[in-house]
Amino acid sequence: MTEEVLVADHTIEYTYTRSTGPMIGAFLTGLRDGKIVGCRGADGRVIVPAVDYDPVTSEDLSETVEVADEGVVTTWSWNDRPLLGQPLDHPFAWALVKLDGADTSLLAAVDVDDPSKISTGSRVKARWAEERVGSITDIAAFEVV
Amino acid sequence: MSNRVAVVGVGQTKYAAKRQDVSMAGLVREAAKRALDDAGMTWSDIDAVVIGKAPDMFEGVMMPELYLADALGAVGKPMLRVHTAGSVGGSTGVMATHLVSSGAHKRVLVVCYEKQSESNATWALSIRLPFTGGSVTGAGGYFAPVIRAYMRRSGAPDDIGIKVSVKDRLNALNNPYAHLKIPDISEEMVRESPMLWDPIRYLETCPSSDGACAVVLTDEDTAKGTPNPPAWVHGTAVRSEPTMGAGRDVVNPHAGRDCAKDVYAQAGVTDPRREIDCAEIYVPFSWYEPMWMENLGFAPEGEGWKMVDDGSTSMKGDLPINPSGGVLSSNPIGASGMCRFAEAALQVRGMAGDHQVDGAKLALGHAYGGGAQFFAMWMVGSEKPNA
Repeated sequence: MTEEVLVADHTIEYTYTRSTGPMIGAFLTGLRDGKIVGCRGADGRVIVPAVDYDPVTSEDLSETVEVADEGVVTTWSWNDRPLLGQPLDHPFAWALVKLDGADTSLLAAVDVDDPSKISTGSRVKARWAEERVGSITDIAAFEVV
Repeated sequence: MSNRVAVVGVGQTKYAAKRQDVSMAGLVREAAKRALDDAGMTWSDIDAVVIGKAPDMFEGVMMPELYLADALGAVGKPMLRVHTAGSVGGSTGVMATHLVSSGAHKRVLVVCYEKQSESNATWALSIRLPFTGGSVTGAGGYFAPVIRAYMRRSGAPDDIGIKVSVKDRLNALNNPYAHLKIPDISEEMVRESPMLWDPIRYLETCPSSDGACAVVLTDEDTAKGTPNPPAWVHGTAVRSEPTMGAGRDVVNPHAGRDCAKDVYAQAGVTDPRREIDCAEIYVPFSWYEPMWMENLGFAPEGEGWKMVDDGSTSMKGDLPINPSGGVLSSNPIGASGMCRFAEAALQVRGMAGDHQVDGAKLALGHAYGGGAQFFAMWMVGSEKPNA
């Protein structure tokens, strides 16, 4: 006896809403204005993106700090076959970028056409989207300076 | 229960349709910080965190306990998530009580929440999955026929649900955290509100709320050093039964009766109507108050509605039910059970403010969930339970 496997299509869709809170909200609003906003943690470090509470002490954070839109690659990986919905539709590097003025790194796409053109320590600068709406995609990608 | 457990802190957010000023993390922190303040504690005093919320699809964040761990000061500490649909606020409290009564932890932070403004719970409850006969009705459509069955069985007058709605909305006016505040509420207003799922009218249903509720539980030694009077846990119980079990009595579920019996036995209660001073029970649709009066043994079967009719369950009655305004006034689903547990604790601590039941010494917190197949309860008292 062969076993019949039942198969059915099932599509569910719903538009969720997100309330971002005061600090992540400040980061996103900053992007719309072409600025990158972090915040000062309890130990004095500048955390980017800004967060609502301290990752070590859990206390509320409220001091925003604007950092540069340029910084250094601290580590990276090559993405040879980008998937639909990723920041770029051609091969690029995923990188952790420590922006000037920040003490933490931001995950970002770096638009280089070949892995030989990026390395740890490369200086990169944000390429802003033509239309900014207050979303992480306002940074289209980083480019090697 | 081996070690005594005390409720030393309670914290609630203001319940509202949309709390767009805070993220999910901000919402749970608001309640948690208030509970810690009440307990005279800070994040670092906590040994473990227990979190509960209704199904993840309600906000579309899978396993949100992972994302919320650092928001709740749980980094490097045990964190547990409890899932029991709408009863989760209750079973999360029970789970956390066990962590203290067993001696595993001394200070446990318990937080439950829902942020309904980020999605639509009725949508999430109405998805028809392949190979199932989904009813696409939401919770109201599911419970309406059950209520009809109760009305037929008990012969209750048609206006009992209306009376519950008015009573709970009046109580809510005395609770600063309540979502719905309808100062001119009247039987007339409820009667004339649209019929949503016959016999449930618009004003006989709960609202959709954003909100979080938290409590801090400790062992007996820790409770000695806390600033406000503790509530002592006299008993906890959970029970469940299959949603679609053959022969199941959906009007008066067996699991609910067993759960109540267990918690009364632990608390040494033999006559619940007389011995319990007030109760916060899960009533998302008005008629569930008389139904649960019977399920909880406060009234004989078929007579729960009489307690509503003669005012016994009002603030002036002998057994005030839902002094806070209940689920009918605030429904952050995953937190709604915790609100019941927390409000019961506030009553016996004498900290319920304008909705305080005078001299409350023993109070029941109750939650149910799913298709009324999950039950969770705790009994709290102003005095320590016998060891």
